[in-house]
Amino acid sequence: MKRERSRKHRLLQLLRVAVQAFFLGLFFYLLFGTHFTGEDYIGPVESFFHFSPLLAAASMLAARALIVFFGLAAITVAVTLLLGRVACGWVCPLGTIHQFFSWAFKKAKFLRPKKPASGGLWVKYAVLVFVLIAALFSLNVAGFFDPISFLTRVSAVSLVPAASQGLHGLTDLLYTAKLEGPGDTLAQSVEMLTLNAVFVQGFAIGLIFLAFILLNKWRERFWCRYLCPLGAMLGLFGRLNLFKLKIDEDKCTKCNLCSIHCPTQASPFPNDTWQSSECIYCETCAAVCPTGAITFPFRFKRETLPAVDFTRRRVVASSLLALFSVPLFRISKARKRASEKLIRPPGSLPEPEFLSRCVKCGECMKACPTNGLQPVLAEAGPEGLWTPVLVPKIGYCEFYCSLCTQVCPTGAIKELTVPEKTTVKIGTAWIDKNRCIPYFLGRPCIVCEEHCPVSPKAIKFTDVETVRPDGTIAVEKAPIIDVELCIGCGICENKCPVADQPAIYVTSVGEDRSKENQLLLQIGE
Amino acid sequence: MNRRTFLKDAVLGGVALGAGTRLLSAFPAAGQSAGPDLAVAQGESPATITKAAVEALGGMGKFVGRGSVVVIKPNIGWDRTPEMAACTNPEVVKALVELSLEAGAKKVTVMDNTTNQAQRCYVRSGIQAAAKAAGADVPFVNPRRIKKMPIGGAWLKDWDVIQDFIECDTLINVPIAKHHSLCRVTLGMKNWLGAIGDPRNQLHQKIDEASVDLAAFFKPKLVVLDAYRILTRNGPQGGRPSDTKLVKTVAASRDAAAVEAFGATLFDINPPDLPLLKLALERKLGRIDLEKMNIEKRTV
Repeated sequence: MKRERSRKHRLLQLLRVAVQAFFLGLFFYLLFGTHFTGEDYIGPVESFFHFSPLLAAASMLAARALIVFFGLAAITVAVTLLLGRVACGWVCPLGTIHQFFSWAFKKAKFLRPKKPASGGLWVKYAVLVFVLIAALFSLNVAGFFDPISFLTRVSAVSLVPAASQGLHGLTDLLYTAKLEGPGDTLAQSVEMLTLNAVFVQGFAIGLIFLAFILLNKWRERFWCRYLCPLGAMLGLFGRLNLFKLKIDEDKCTKCNLCSIHCPTQASPFPNDTWQSSECIYCETCAAVCPTGAITFPFRFKRETLPAVDFTRRRVVASSLLALFSVPLFRISKARKRASEKLIRPPGSLPEPEFLSRCVKCGECMKACPTNGLQPVLAEAGPEGLWTPVLVPKIGYCEFYCSLCTQVCPTGAIKELTVPEKTTVKIGTAWIDKNRCIPYFLGRPCIVCEEHCPVSPKAIKFTDVETVRPDGTIAVEKAPIIDVELCIGCGICENKCPVADQPAIYVTSVGEDRSKENQLLLQIGE
Repeated sequence: MNRRTFLKDAVLGGVALGAGTRLLSAFPAAGQSAGPDLAVAQGESPATITKAAVEALGGMGKFVGRGSVVVIKPNIGWDRTPEMAACTNPEVVKALVELSLEAGAKKVTVMDNTTNQAQRCYVRSGIQAAAKAAGADVPFVNPRRIKKMPIGGAWLKDWDVIQDFIECDTLINVPIAKHHSLCRVTLGMKNWLGAIGDPRNQLHQKIDEASVDLAAFFKPKLVVLDAYRILTRNGPQGGRPSDTKLVKTVAASRDAAAVEAFGATLFDINPPDLPLLKLALERKLGRIDLEKMNIEKRTV
């Protein structure tokens, strides 16, 4: 018998790698395009999200609303119905990254699978049940596990800052080497990309990503195999699987290489144990088979599905776990009283609706031209972990910019035109007279007033008498705030020359989106 | 000798900076001897009146030599479109780039250290596109090109300076005339806050002193004041077209104080009443006695 690997399937494998590279490239092309490019409005850079039926289901369920853009997820569902989990094997950018590292770990001999792995596949179905049950109670945890949200978040707050540092380091190096020409060219190009470099949670989110990468050393495509709820959902959608695995018994040498190298534990050998719900059609088994015994012939026949590895008992258990966890996510002082630091992006829905939609993907943080939008740790409670908050000390809300509202994939931030956005109040500025230079030191300043972008300005002057330390009396123009004009953009706080703790600062009170977090009575108006 | 080594020599040699620059600048004799002290041009087109004002001073050839490096400093500080009159009119900047290249400049650079995000200011002010179309480089400030330098001012002794504004043969200041709550008006001298590094917002504690010190330090060969559309309230960035006023004027001079004095009058301010101009006079930065100046007015 001829011992030869299938040339056709090795070519198909290469084609799959090329397609994966294309979609990974597309993902990062759109991600790096998520910034101010010179136009007020940018295209659908958040499109990847809308192809995720997990985000579609969880967000619409949690928000109790029809979100039109998620219609695109129907395409993913349709493709999966016909062909199985090809989206996992050929498209998903996070899957591609995990597959790349699995491959690299194998090449480096960090990962040397000797026999087929078994068990554990049910975990991702439990995650899926957890996400969907939580969504029933308007708790949106889909974004923590959805691969598109996961990769976008880690890219926006960890990988892009790392790249930014790398590029700055390279520029410094060029300058040190007296190559100022190329150095300057590089510096100018980097400036054009708006690579936000400062994120309060960047380290932690980056570490979590690193941990999931390292898990590939233990099992190939660990994330996709055991954890990904989107993969689990697509596995459940797979019905026809038009291309079905077939092992030619005459050629098969029962070497088990196919099952050992299957990245998702779909158990290609023996033929009748193949789990189409786990198969991602990566062509690995067919390509590694030493005798070319494995093919995927077209067969139009609905499968008698080998049951997914998820017993009724586990369905009940994970549902109960979700049921009891939902309240835990909501033990938070944020539900009692608005947090003064929780300055949401302009256009954000009222807090409960916002939380039901936000998938913590970080698109808004990538788009923000000033780096002001940050993933929050505690202010929004456990369910609000990594949701966006404006931190004016890091960056202010640019007056004529509505990019964050345009890129939000779930409508947690309502899309606004630039003129609409300029009228949205996200907070109110306050003056700390004990630190303000004219009030306390009796010296001129008014940097805040100069920067206030609204017309007429929300910061006005009053002449203030100050006793200086030497006993003399100074009269200076000092700022006062018209809270009705102030939109809370935070540029005053950002530019205040009192560097460490600005003498003017913004809190969330007065934000348009909240009925409760208010300051002024609007009776009869 | 480029501008940078010259300045260094001037400081080291104890030569007064102002006098030194005048004496040693590339084309002093022709410029000083003849021509008006101040040129004021009025008309419908920002580009045409800019060119007319420079022409009245004897043409750009007086300031820009063949093969020289020119740096133009407009105000691109804010993310505002031209009709808001927060940044220099892009047509004015473009005209100066064209004149410089026609006069034989090897390279023309237009830049500013912005207040809002740099890219937004460059794009939405219209200056990036206009200056590039005319053939200028419009780079963003590169932090590696900011160095601490002796300013030698009465108050400001040293500060971080963007080297692009130093390493050139001809420096042209192109401010826009605007209302400013602290200084009453902001014209050419305060425009130099856009040529230095942070923490420049702390300079507001002695803003007039800082502006005059910086004006004496940078010492541009030519100052062109854009008063095509001026900002009359809610300065220095306005926000509504109704905050602006069409004056359709450009003033130019080699005397920074003279332009500043003229600019003050646009806001009905008597030049000697402006603290900044009093300081400028004390520092001998130029003349502010408009009534005694030789002013050439053109309407085109």
